[in-house]
Amino acid sequence: MARELDLEVIVGRFYASLYRFALSLTKSEAEAGDLTQQTFFILAQRSHQIRDISKVKCWLFTTLRREFLRIVRTQTNHPHVEFRPEIHDSPSISADALRTLDAKAVIDALDRIEPTYRTAVELFYLSELSYKEIAETLDIPIGTVMSRLSRGKEHLKAILATAIAENSDKIIPLNRDEEATY
Amino acid sequence: MKKPRTEITNQTAKFLLNAYRPSGADAQDPAFRDALEQAARDPELGAWFKEQRGFDSMIAEKLSGIEPPATLRSAILAGIENRPPERRFSIRPLLALAAVIALSAVVVVPMLNRRNSGRQLVDQYRKANLSMLAAVPAPQLDLMTASFSRTQDYLAEMQAPCIPSPPAALLGLPTAGCKTLRWNGHILSLTCFLLPSKELLHVFVIAQDAFDSIDIGRDFQEFNGWHVKFELLNGMLLMFVSRANMAEIKQYI
Repeated sequence: MARELDLEVIVGRFYASLYRFALSLTKSEAEAGDLTQQTFFILAQRSHQIRDISKVKCWLFTTLRREFLRIVRTQTNHPHVEFRPEIHDSPSISADALRTLDAKAVIDALDRIEPTYRTAVELFYLSELSYKEIAETLDIPIGTVMSRLSRGKEHLKAILATAIAENSDKIIPLNRDEEATY
Repeated sequence: MKKPRTEITNQTAKFLLNAYRPSGADAQDPAFRDALEQAARDPELGAWFKEQRGFDSMIAEKLSGIEPPATLRSAILAGIENRPPERRFSIRPLLALAAVIALSAVVVVPMLNRRNSGRQLVDQYRKANLSMLAAVPAPQLDLMTASFSRTQDYLAEMQAPCIPSPPAALLGLPTAGCKTLRWNGHILSLTCFLLPSKELLHVFVIAQDAFDSIDIGRDFQEFNGWHVKFELLNGMLLMFVSRANMAEIKQYI
């Protein structure tokens, strides 16, 4: 017999990771909040349809992505796709260099991953879904998930390596207070 | 009996281990067994895997630092709690709304034509709005958002009246969303705010010229558990409605 969903517990457990995934899709805090709210509202409306509670997490991420795609289709607001050369070598990035980046820089880098691979990588980092759950969420075979993760992470590393190199080339002037302490 | 170990290349192992979550949650997944064993044996692969896990952990950590808005959790819960009970089909709220509108057209409009005094017309308007709010299942909002400015942008886009000069205290509340409606040939808007008690505060706005004359009281009145107050502001008639207690409502209006 199906157990009744405890919506308050589910909201508390998943709303932050869903919001982060929504933010990676929409790039707007307001839209990410709306999309997260809408996803839980749909869950509340259809909770009787969910037979297996262990599938709620996948269901939420699948629904949020579908809602996002529906809105994008409605607005006919197709994201700009930039073509980039193939990446063959995965560059090595030091942990120290990575620490210099903030969360926004990482979100921006995720956004620049080739669209084919992007969602699998976003789900990997933002949702803590397993490769099997990502396959279920995106409705694609497990092998395709692994392939997208492998290629997508190569892209991500290349993008971050470029961002770090660009940052290190910048000359940052000292402000007056800092000058005074020298 | 343990499954015999399969030889795999480092390239294949890297391909598989890219799907290994940095939290280690996949440690017991047999799909990774051969690749993990290979990484333990092969120093070059082991070094790659260590660096990859470090990279994955760092990215996941950076991203987990993104905090949702402080009001999001309470807005979600309030939205869920205020949903229509036992709703199974999304068409039902629309049918209910259509029924209310049809009823307004058939019953309310002829009555309005006959009894056209300022007080009676406002009473009819109040009743129509309260009937709609009390309908089960409740009608759906056109736009669900916690952002007041987004509700007003939407209403402006739909050429529906916005809330003119809302009280500052009200602006501090998250919204549940908004909706456009039509009454007696006039477009009106509904914006719903979420009070700290999780009750909703509904604000209907209609142009003043929807009424020949307006006779409204100055204070709140109670109708079947609904606290209702009218205000005239910048050519608009505002109708505040809530089931929250008066002490809470008066903090915001």
